[in-house]
Amino acid sequence: MAAPDELFCWEGAWGLPSVSSDCLTVLAYAQFAGAPLKLRKISNPWRSPSGSLPALRTNQNETLSRPADIIIHLRKQKFNADYDLSAREGADSLAFISLLEERLKPALIYNSWVDSKNYVEVTRRWYAEHLPFPLNFLLPGRMQRQQLETLRLLRGEESLEGGEELEKELYREASDCMNLLSQRLGARKFFFRDSPSSLDAYVFAYLAPLLKAKLPNGKLQQHLKSLENLSSFCSNILLLYFPHDARESSGGQKSSSPPQPEGGDYDHVPNKRRKQLMSVLVALGAMLSYAVLTGILSIQHMQKEALEAPPPDRQTLDPLDEDEEGDG
Amino acid sequence: MSLAAEAFVSQMAAAEPWPESATLYQPLKEDQILLSDCASSLAVQAYLRMCGLPVQVVYKSNAEYMSPSGKIPFIHVGNQVVSELGPIVQFTKAKGNSLSDGLDDVQRAEMKAYMELVNNMLLTAELYIQWCDDATAAEISRPRYSSPYSWPLSNVLAYQKQWEVRRKMNAIGWGEKTLEQVYDDVTQCCQALSQRLGTQPYFFNKQPTELDALVFGHLFTILTTRLTSTELAERIKSCSNLLSFCRRIEQTYFEDKSS
Repeated sequence: MAAPDELFCWEGAWGLPSVSSDCLTVLAYAQFAGAPLKLRKISNPWRSPSGSLPALRTNQNETLSRPADIIIHLRKQKFNADYDLSAREGADSLAFISLLEERLKPALIYNSWVDSKNYVEVTRRWYAEHLPFPLNFLLPGRMQRQQLETLRLLRGEESLEGGEELEKELYREASDCMNLLSQRLGARKFFFRDSPSSLDAYVFAYLAPLLKAKLPNGKLQQHLKSLENLSSFCSNILLLYFPHDARESSGGQKSSSPPQPEGGDYDHVPNKRRKQLMSVLVALGAMLSYAVLTGILSIQHMQKEALEAPPPDRQTLDPLDEDEEGDG
Repeated sequence: MSLAAEAFVSQMAAAEPWPESATLYQPLKEDQILLSDCASSLAVQAYLRMCGLPVQVVYKSNAEYMSPSGKIPFIHVGNQVVSELGPIVQFTKAKGNSLSDGLDDVQRAEMKAYMELVNNMLLTAELYIQWCDDATAAEISRPRYSSPYSWPLSNVLAYQKQWEVRRKMNAIGWGEKTLEQVYDDVTQCCQALSQRLGTQPYFFNKQPTELDALVFGHLFTILTTRLTSTELAERIKSCSNLLSFCRRIEQTYFEDKSS
């Protein structure tokens, strides 16, 4: 058999296998369908073959990046989590996935990229800490602009200046959507029958980050937590299909969260020593280069004697200067 | 619309009965309106007819700019202006006309989900074909969209609209799709609707709901509109129960008025 396909995903956090909903969709579906993928969890989208995450590199060296395309590809490889569904149930999944994309997604974008508290304290912080050095300054802001643009286009012409009104409307739509999902799920373990299908993967992927992230502004999160069947649906899937990540988080929380008061978070920067050293080095570098730049005249005088010909830019400049003087 | 304004609107709406002079605005039918707008407008008309609320259709070349949300269609009832199917359904509900009261919670959840399916796949596919398929955009969409305006402005507005739609397609990941993939999505959506409808007269058995109005609006418009290729209509024609569904609604709600 050929080598397995390679899946590139964002790293996980908060006890989730990945932080991005799109990555979670693919991961969950692959788990449900039992597809053997070679998983690469990275925190640098530039190292993915498509430049974005998630990305699937198939063994024919094709690259797929939309979750729907990846699921279709897996389905063609006979890894089909929807195999047992009747046609009617398949139609229902398609409809509920659309409901999620139209109603829940805009609110989730707002929740993590527009709401300033959540963006600064959770989203930007996570990406800034996990992206490698020069990118951590560039990418979070760029990702935010992209998300804002997506939200603006999803909502049509209106600008995002609506502020609170827009937030209320988006959150009301999303709460409605969660209520509908909760009603549809009822007391069952999965949306259809005893095994999870693609709809379960999508619902889990959208809701789990909302449930697990520690958000300072948790209006939407509160609503999800109040819907018990939906929140236990997410936790169940985490425990059943991603036991490794779930255990890691509960273990990690026990050791790290109790001594941490809310405000003391800033003292617990990971790799503190290394970062201090880095900043000292950067400062030294800046000072040195400033010194060199301002002192360049004296250095060049010394070099001029050593080198026979003056540097090329001087050569071109000097005759020009002379010409101008001659004309004047 | 803000929540406070909405609460105010629904209070006002509840107080007044449906007036005879209610009007629905849409772009000019013969030379201007595009497939997606026409479908949305027909869906609202079908919904209002199902509710038994009379509405007079008015054609304005600047309807898009008159609408409060910039989307078509919108209705003018008393001193209220409401646009798009979703808010209009809310509005009529406040006035005591609702088609979905008889449904239980799960059915209502399913109804909303299927309505989003139509918006997410059919409406997006219509927009894609109108503005991202170069032949359709050049032969139909741009000339029709800009027909009320004179030369330099017409080009500017048409390309601006096309640019906007294309950016939206890129944002939702449809930018890389080929026309063939879009047709496949339409087929998938129609098969889902067809499965759901089965042999029932309406999606939720005997009574029509707003979902029926929305599906009818889109399918009927696609079936009766001439585009550069008939592929889109062909995809729908493969589901025979959807065809008879369209015919049934047309006969029940539209025919006796036109004759």
